[in-house]
Amino acid sequence: MNLYVLKTGDLSLVEFVNSVANSFDKNIIDNNGWLVILKGLEITLFISITALLAGTIIGALLCSMRISKVGALKISAKIVIAFLRGSPVLLLLMVFYYVVFANSRFDAVFIAIIAFALNSGAHIAEIMRSALSAVDVRQLEAARMLGFSKIRAFMAITLPQATRIAKPVYQSATINLVQWTSVVGYVSITDLTRTVNNIGARTGDPFFALFFGILIYLAISYMVNFIFSLQGRKKITL
Amino acid sequence: MIRTVNLYKRFGELTVFSDLNIHIQKGECVAVIGPSGTGKSVLFRTLALLERPDGGQVFINGKEITGRDVNINKVREKFGMVYQGFHLFSHLNVLDNITLAPLKVKKVDRKEARERAMELLSMVGLSEKFSSFPHQLSGGQQQRVAIARSLAMDPDIILFDEPTSALDPSMTGEVLAIIRKLARSGLTMMISTHEMGFAQDVASRVIYMDEKGIYEEGPAEQIFNNPQREKTRMFIRKLKVFSYSIISRGFDMVSMNVQIEMFCQKYNIELKKINHIQLVLEELILEVLAGLYTDVQPQIEFTVEFSEERGEILITFNCKGREFNPFVNKDDADHLGIILISGISKKISHNYSNGLNTININI
Repeated sequence: MNLYVLKTGDLSLVEFVNSVANSFDKNIIDNNGWLVILKGLEITLFISITALLAGTIIGALLCSMRISKVGALKISAKIVIAFLRGSPVLLLLMVFYYVVFANSRFDAVFIAIIAFALNSGAHIAEIMRSALSAVDVRQLEAARMLGFSKIRAFMAITLPQATRIAKPVYQSATINLVQWTSVVGYVSITDLTRTVNNIGARTGDPFFALFFGILIYLAISYMVNFIFSLQGRKKITL
Repeated sequence: MIRTVNLYKRFGELTVFSDLNIHIQKGECVAVIGPSGTGKSVLFRTLALLERPDGGQVFINGKEITGRDVNINKVREKFGMVYQGFHLFSHLNVLDNITLAPLKVKKVDRKEARERAMELLSMVGLSEKFSSFPHQLSGGQQQRVAIARSLAMDPDIILFDEPTSALDPSMTGEVLAIIRKLARSGLTMMISTHEMGFAQDVASRVIYMDEKGIYEEGPAEQIFNNPQREKTRMFIRKLKVFSYSIISRGFDMVSMNVQIEMFCQKYNIELKKINHIQLVLEELILEVLAGLYTDVQPQIEFTVEFSEERGEILITFNCKGREFNPFVNKDDADHLGIILISGISKKISHNYSNGLNTININI
């Protein structure tokens, strides 16, 4: 069932294309490999998106604690952020999986989401904090002088400006998060990375399978960049 | 309109002002002047409660706003402020900058807010810039938009906090012209400024702040042309003062001359005038030492004032003791010094009271 033979051209090129086509068949088409990959991709995307959403909420919470005037909140947020940012996410994941939730009946995917949400939450908290501190406080004051309440001035002036400042960093944090989810195989989750690894092991052609996996991750990154570029395209930058 | 009672503000140990009482009537335009760091900005911020006063009260339209149950947001709707650094909303274009508060705070409908904004823009001469963003405008244009932004809320009073200090001289004119226009329209306003000429012709009343409070206040005419107190006079005339005292016959005249010379050079006084100042003082001191302090130690104090504004030099010479006027016998050949001084000076006056001879010499 070799459909990809080239009739003309350099012999070695023909051989190369043939071998790629062969590998593609063996890894992706045979035994419905693509269906398995799709399943893995679904898990990866599910963990990434859920962790990002939860992480953003956690980040906002940590950030508001971090910049609050209450000393206890501030210090505890500082410690939590330092701990979460300073520990490797894989170790965090393993601690949750093998220690904290070892005796619970939580699904491994759920535990992974918690670990990634906490880790990216800490990063996002710092992203938010630096963006907020980069906004001109005098503009907030100008809004207060026009009769805005504290909260409404924040919503109308500080937040939109901080969002714009934070966007590029948040974007790369998102891509980072997606790529870091590739370690969930360690806690028995069959995500995209685990899937392509399995296929490669089964077919004895790991190079192609793994490379194909990289291409998919690359595609996700481009997708993320594309989605971020959709929002705010019509607005002029600061 | 605005009244404060014993307003007091400090930052830590540093008192900015205390016992400050001002009363501004409706339709008045009051200029607040004074050296940097005397609390003009802090006063404005305190009036708007952007800074909490550490004592005293602020009344707006007879209502105390320093009390507990005051909705300060409501008060500020009628309270405009224009800043030294403009502080336009950088993520919004000019039109949105102006309509934001009317739309969100006053809940005016969109069409009406836009119409009003365009009206204000044409008033400040920036109709064509309505879709520009703040960073695309010059400083002067930004400040004019900022003025339009605060006018959009129809405030009862606007505080201008050094509105032209951040602008280069070529742009101050356009901003001052708008403020003049507003003053003529009868808007109540307070302006802190370093533009003395502008303050003089726009303000009906002037407050001079110094020494942790209001040092002198009065009609613009009086403050600028006939200031009553020492520091006001020095500030208005941009006076630079050198003072020196002599309490011994053996004082060091060479060192005195060097100090005078250094003072004069600092303010670019021409060499001929420096020589004249030194000559006048030398002769006068010798004359007084010989005539007044023949057997006692001298008690002489003098100041040299230089007005940067007018380029004038005034020497004020005080000597304690009995009445003594070296200029009475001025044609005497024994008093060559006096003849010299009379030749150099534009005007000389002598006055004696309470055992103190005061001699004023203009050069």
